[in-house]
Amino acid sequence: MSDTGVVLTDIRKSFGSLEVIHGIDLTIAEGSFVVFVGPSGCGKSTLLRMIAGLEEVTDGEIEIKGRNVTDLDPSDRGIAMVFQSYALYPHMSVRDNLAFGLKMAHTEPAEIEARVRAASAILKIDPLLERRPGQLSGGQRQRVAIGRAIVRKPDVFLFDEPLSNLDAELRVSMRIEIARLHRELGNTMIYVTHDQTEAMTLADVIVVLRDGRIEQTGSPREIYENPANMFVAGFIGSPRMNLLNAQWLGNGKVAIGQTEMTIPVSGGGLKPGDKVSFGIRPEHLVVADNTDEGLDARVDFFEYLGGTQYLYCQLADGQPITAEHRGAEPIAAGSTVRLTSETGKRRLFDHEGRRLT
Amino acid sequence: MNPSTRNLSKQRRAAKALRSNSAYHATGIAICLFFLAPFVITFLASFRHGTEARLPPLPPWPSSGISIDSYLSLDTFGAGIWQHTINSLLVSLATVVLTVAVSLLAGYGFSRYRFPLKNVLFVLIIATLMIPFQSILTPLFIILAKLGLNNSLLGLTLVYVTLQLPFSVFMMRNAFDAVPKEIEEAARIDGARDLRLLVRVLLPLVLPGVATVAIFAFLNAWNEFLAALILLSSNDKYTLPVLMMAVRAGRLGAVNWGAVQAGVAVMTVPCLIVFLLLQRYYMRGLMAGAVK
Repeated sequence: MSDTGVVLTDIRKSFGSLEVIHGIDLTIAEGSFVVFVGPSGCGKSTLLRMIAGLEEVTDGEIEIKGRNVTDLDPSDRGIAMVFQSYALYPHMSVRDNLAFGLKMAHTEPAEIEARVRAASAILKIDPLLERRPGQLSGGQRQRVAIGRAIVRKPDVFLFDEPLSNLDAELRVSMRIEIARLHRELGNTMIYVTHDQTEAMTLADVIVVLRDGRIEQTGSPREIYENPANMFVAGFIGSPRMNLLNAQWLGNGKVAIGQTEMTIPVSGGGLKPGDKVSFGIRPEHLVVADNTDEGLDARVDFFEYLGGTQYLYCQLADGQPITAEHRGAEPIAAGSTVRLTSETGKRRLFDHEGRRLT
Repeated sequence: MNPSTRNLSKQRRAAKALRSNSAYHATGIAICLFFLAPFVITFLASFRHGTEARLPPLPPWPSSGISIDSYLSLDTFGAGIWQHTINSLLVSLATVVLTVAVSLLAGYGFSRYRFPLKNVLFVLIIATLMIPFQSILTPLFIILAKLGLNNSLLGLTLVYVTLQLPFSVFMMRNAFDAVPKEIEEAARIDGARDLRLLVRVLLPLVLPGVATVAIFAFLNAWNEFLAALILLSSNDKYTLPVLMMAVRAGRLGAVNWGAVQAGVAVMTVPCLIVFLLLQRYYMRGLMAGAVK
């Protein structure tokens, strides 16, 4: 039992006979910024909606600030939520949109006015207070939606893909805004997204979900550098990590096709000849011709991005591999390159996708 | 291009715009005249002198001064024009209120809740639109008699509401379907529950639907004739359409056309008022800006 933050204990959710969340245990520290990521349909939004109280919990308990809120109404949980579609009340002015929740709670008018003022100052929406949502741009609407959350002075902010409806440029600036907000307010924030950049840049803690289960919880750095399994390794990072079919040879050696690679793992219970997956991120691959240990690959095509270029290659046995090349010299499609990497950057997963150390 | 040719082409463009504009407005005015003519003719004719009322209808306007003779003679029919107007207003307004209240709640239920046989029930309600109303008049009469509601305005109102509900429930369910779920969820987080949620947040959003339902309920109840004729039996309970029947039938073979025109005018005015009051909600795109 903790008296701070949000604690989920064995949370389950079924729709009819279909269980979509399979017993999630998670402790979210007070004041931290937690991001739920995962592919669509992994249950991240459902989990958030259960914390909000918009979705009933089939089994398990939700605690917010030491209070069991599992059966409470959304308005009594000390939460505020920002929706992907903004969900502003179209028939009310911005001011009324912000004040609505407080009016429902019978707050003193002077207090309402003060809080609306404070929130609109933080979000710089004071000039818009008398307008209707229909007269605002997408970014302004999302600010109002965030403002509506701020005036409630919640213990926990919930964000359900709040930036997905904005264009790319606005998304970046709103992302910075949300980070600033978290720094200023210091509240616990839970944020759902499928956008890795948002997850990596905003989060103190990333929770990677798949099929209603937590695959890994950790700081962005941990998730990126030490993925617990092949799914997390493949999901986080863009372009995604190369995962090559390989064979364990024993003694810290694997064979990828005909090529032998050294990898600093003990191999645990592996026997020589076992199938494994060899993981290496594109940004850790280096094009080097004069090296003994490297993968020979033919460049199918490349993407030039100015500061860097991505080489999409094929190994001799047909497996695709992507490499990032920062060198100035252009590499033509059709040419053959030798790709190598620091041994410490190489990852090995067993046939069930578990990370081997 | 030198300045004079530029001016010339500017003038040509302006002339073209003027031509297309005047064609546009001329067409609009012609259509307006076409639709307004019956109203104007009726209203003017209803103010002709009693002696003029029996003359051929051309010209339709009062040629020997304005008079309210027609309205006075209309008042001599039945239990007086006021009584029948009040009857009609009572029935129509009660029909509107009950229809809106029931269809609002039913539409919300059908749109938002999950319950067994929901779709079957909904189709069943819509399917009742296919039953010709005349075919159930006799059972309706018997049921009302059993309930002690025959020859009562309340009974008539209940029949009208029943007839009006299938369309209205359908209309309101669609209106609620168009309201994004997130708005409701945001309101729940803001602490609005049940009736407050419905009245403060959702009602303004489905107002166009409510206006449509109200207009249809009012017009149908106001103009309905057959059920009123059959279910009402005493003179002082008749609604305006039934009264108009008596006026149109005339006395001893002589029809007072002035009274008929006056009756038509009396029946038209409330419809116009209701429509003019509510028509702006037809056009209002209230949902703009709620969600992307």
